[in-house]
Amino acid sequence: MSLRALVIHADDNVANLIGPGRQGEEVACRVEGQDREVRVALASDVPSNHKFAFADIKAGDLIVKYGMTIGKASADIPRGVHVHVHNVESTRGRGDLA
Amino acid sequence: MRDHFYGYPRPDGQVGIRNHVLMLSGTLYANPTCERVVHSVQNTIPIVHPLGRCQIAPDLARTFRTLVGHGRNPNAGAVIVIDHFKEQGCTADDIAHQIAESGKPVEVVNIRRDGGALSATAKATRLAIEFNRRITRQQRERVPLSKLVYGINCGTSDVTSGLAHNRCVGWVADRVIEAGGRALVAETTEMMGGEDLICARAKTPEIAEKILGFIRAMEQSILACGVDMRGSQPTGDNIEGGLSTIEEKSLGAMQKWGTKPIVGAVDYADPIGEQSGLWVMDTPGHGGESISGIAAAGSQVMSFSTGGGHTINHPLMITMRLTGNRESWEAMQDTMELDVSDIFDGTPLEEAAGRLFDEVLDICDGKMTKAEALREWNGFAINRCGPSV
Repeated sequence: MSLRALVIHADDNVANLIGPGRQGEEVACRVEGQDREVRVALASDVPSNHKFAFADIKAGDLIVKYGMTIGKASADIPRGVHVHVHNVESTRGRGDLA
Repeated sequence: MRDHFYGYPRPDGQVGIRNHVLMLSGTLYANPTCERVVHSVQNTIPIVHPLGRCQIAPDLARTFRTLVGHGRNPNAGAVIVIDHFKEQGCTADDIAHQIAESGKPVEVVNIRRDGGALSATAKATRLAIEFNRRITRQQRERVPLSKLVYGINCGTSDVTSGLAHNRCVGWVADRVIEAGGRALVAETTEMMGGEDLICARAKTPEIAEKILGFIRAMEQSILACGVDMRGSQPTGDNIEGGLSTIEEKSLGAMQKWGTKPIVGAVDYADPIGEQSGLWVMDTPGHGGESISGIAAAGSQVMSFSTGGGHTINHPLMITMRLTGNRESWEAMQDTMELDVSDIFDGTPLEEAAGRLFDEVLDICDGKMTKAEALREWNGFAINRCGPSV
């Protein structure tokens, strides 16, 4: 067990994987500012340094990183699943939503 | 935690961390004369550039303001302004007059008036020697950290930026501000998507509105070129690296801003106020133009954080470069001062950022950056807001 991840803010619902990870591997997540480590099993492959869900996220939920909104879930994202452009969309500069 | 550094107090109350003779070129045709003096006389620093003439009024005013700001930067103990002949709106005499208000010694050398390039070189060389003998009598004095204007910038960002090095810079900015100092951030392009954070952090709604105005104007100027930046942000390599949205990219860049209130916002190369806190300047993302705006505002030292590694440094505002990307450190450490990639091995942020704090204060006390040791000056550039005419 050597996979690690960073959760930058206590309010975040995504973690940042350090290095690449395969589905089923367990990750030790360090939550910044807290003296605790949370273990999450990857529910999909996650490329190097990409994000995965640190909590169960529903379609339409806001994605929170740095304690702030970085986008909105376009699909349900169970805990441990890769979070990226296939299941997150920006909420800014969207001519189609204006 | 250190609460002081050793610097050179100036007559106007600013404190330099270096005591250089600044060779300031008023216009591109004076550059070689400036450079000849720098080759001959130690402790001289060149500010050379391609502007100073045939610019429309607001654009020329920006050049003028940038040059005056560099002359007033406290890292210059004395200034020699070199002019070609007779400029309009950006004369060496006017530049020198404004710099002299700071109380530091200033002289003008005019290539035409002083008998041509070689006679002007001889005159400027003798002046530089005299200034060196005069200002090097000054000793460093212990001054409170509140005298620091901590310049902040980043470039060649990648996915490690928001996780490692930018957060270290933000942590140091917080410590400088807690000590009563000021931190100065810029790069309007990387504020797009960070508007909520700006509104939450600005001390007054007027300050927030001014910064949002910078962002709108930047966006308009891009659209006026017939292109849409939003369609290309985040970039392909950002997405490959794991950045999903423009918000995520901007918020990663804005980790450099720390957590303190924004107390003011200024236009490009304008001086900032005396109030302790975080200040914001309107600059493009272009590294040289952005850091030169910050230097013109009086910042003595800069942390430039980078994912891909960098050679950038400013001639007068002492620039230290850091990365949290170990491969970039290994490739680029000839021109970088600090590696904080051990954050990814589990080093707590406070510990890695504490090393940055120590490095910044050591540099303030006189420790050379690698760029200083190499006498490499690549980061001076003046932002433009108009065409050449």
